[in-house]
Amino acid sequence: MATLTNWVEHLTTDTDPATDGIQVAGEVYPMVGTEGWLLLIGVIFWLAFHFATGAGEAEEQRKLTKKSPGSNAHKNNIPEW
Amino acid sequence: MTDGLDALTVIFTEFYYWITVVLMFLIHVGFCMYEVGASRYKHHQHTLMKNTLLIPLVTVTWFFFGWWIYWAFPTGPGIAPSIMTESSGLILGGGFGANDVANPMSSVMAINLNDHINGVFWAAFLLFSWTAASIVSGALIERITTFAFGILAIAIGSVFWTIDAAWGWHFDGWMVKLLGYHDAYASGVIHACAGGFALGVLAVLGARIGKFSSSGEPRNIGPRNPWLVCVGLFCIYTGFWGFYAACNIPIFDLGPEYGMEGVTFFTATNIYITPTTLSGITLNFIMSLAGGLLAGYWVSKGDPFWTYSGGLAGIITASAGNDLYHPIQSMLIGAFGVWVAYKMHYWVERKFKIDDAVGAVAVHGYAGVVGLIVCGFVLWGYPSSGYGDAYAAINPMGMIIGAIIMFGVLGFLPGYIIAKILHAAGKLRISREVELAGLDYNIMESAKKDEKAVSSASR
Repeated sequence: MATLTNWVEHLTTDTDPATDGIQVAGEVYPMVGTEGWLLLIGVIFWLAFHFATGAGEAEEQRKLTKKSPGSNAHKNNIPEW
Repeated sequence: MTDGLDALTVIFTEFYYWITVVLMFLIHVGFCMYEVGASRYKHHQHTLMKNTLLIPLVTVTWFFFGWWIYWAFPTGPGIAPSIMTESSGLILGGGFGANDVANPMSSVMAINLNDHINGVFWAAFLLFSWTAASIVSGALIERITTFAFGILAIAIGSVFWTIDAAWGWHFDGWMVKLLGYHDAYASGVIHACAGGFALGVLAVLGARIGKFSSSGEPRNIGPRNPWLVCVGLFCIYTGFWGFYAACNIPIFDLGPEYGMEGVTFFTATNIYITPTTLSGITLNFIMSLAGGLLAGYWVSKGDPFWTYSGGLAGIITASAGNDLYHPIQSMLIGAFGVWVAYKMHYWVERKFKIDDAVGAVAVHGYAGVVGLIVCGFVLWGYPSSGYGDAYAAINPMGMIIGAIIMFGVLGFLPGYIIAKILHAAGKLRISREVELAGLDYNIMESAKKDEKAVSSASR
């Protein structure tokens, strides 16, 4: 899982032999190489949010529409604390 | 970074953008306060949540594809060749500033010891995206569903404004090359675009119940809490300092960049990599704010809401050319923009029955358009870029066409079409009953029940 286990070794690894001198291995986050899968999971999470909250909002508003309390009813519900 | 000066430049730039991001957070704090203050009591909490939710929604989509669009689309595609790749196709990789860095699967879209800039630059642009979506948010309060707003926020925040930024707010953008488009601090790419988008949505969404009498006369639904509105606008002013700073590159050696042999010229630059100074734009920022405040007070006869909004509209109007204007020019241009925006707001309201609850279309859209057009005349003949003959000079016709693209093509039209689709799906507007009862009805009823239970409790 760990991308690096030794800072000195990591910072002195030449990642590009064509480049003069040492080029630091830049990536330090866990699971380097799985960025595509991480993106896919992120997109699924994002879309799931829309479906879940969209449905919840519609349901809540359907109930309130049915109840139809009127334009001044909220005044009875203003808490005093 | 093996050289000390090089390291200092890079880490200074990293920290500079980081600070701009922190400052720009205040824009969003301000928008939340402003919007809630403008809404009525029974809609407060939903209004707050609607605006707050755009933060995560625009953020994740900006990571997934918004940033990538900015770097992929400067050529149109197919309109003008890139100076980086010499192709007019989508910019997909290779070369300085090309799209490798913005690919969400790229290793520099994360902590990477070889890159200190991409993340902070990404975040600075993200905060611009929040601003674009937040501008739209205020106009739609008290009658749009949170679901629909989320879709619209993503559309403006992570798609349409970023396309216009690629076209007209990128050193390689086709609008800069062919039209001589110049928009240093985003009169058009953020404000006109988001204002136009809001107008497109409003045309479909309709007015709040009670806004217009049966004879069509508009009624004023004033801000529920003017204090909150005013403090919110102060926060937006403050955040705008960060916005201006984030539109600059703080330190750049233009000598080698422009191919001037043996010349070293360190300077701050605007987004087009043409020189300006942070000191000079500070003068212009404040003077355009002052011009806007004075004009707002004057034209609205001392109305606080429009005076504060006038300050913002003044900055927005002068922003297109605030990298080059004289401070007094900035002040006068800001004042003129506010006068036009105020008059246009009430004319459009009466003529087309558009209920823009916070004046967002006026303050951002109309003022932004005025700013672009005025910039075309005042900066007529200035080079739009330092990269040579491939770029047209700044000119009025190019800026007018640019304004049409920003407000109309990438603002109004997408807003109108997406709102139409959401409307057809029955997802755009809350029901009449919910609007009358208040979006917070259930929350308030539940709070009252809690209160009763607590107050009658003995232990």
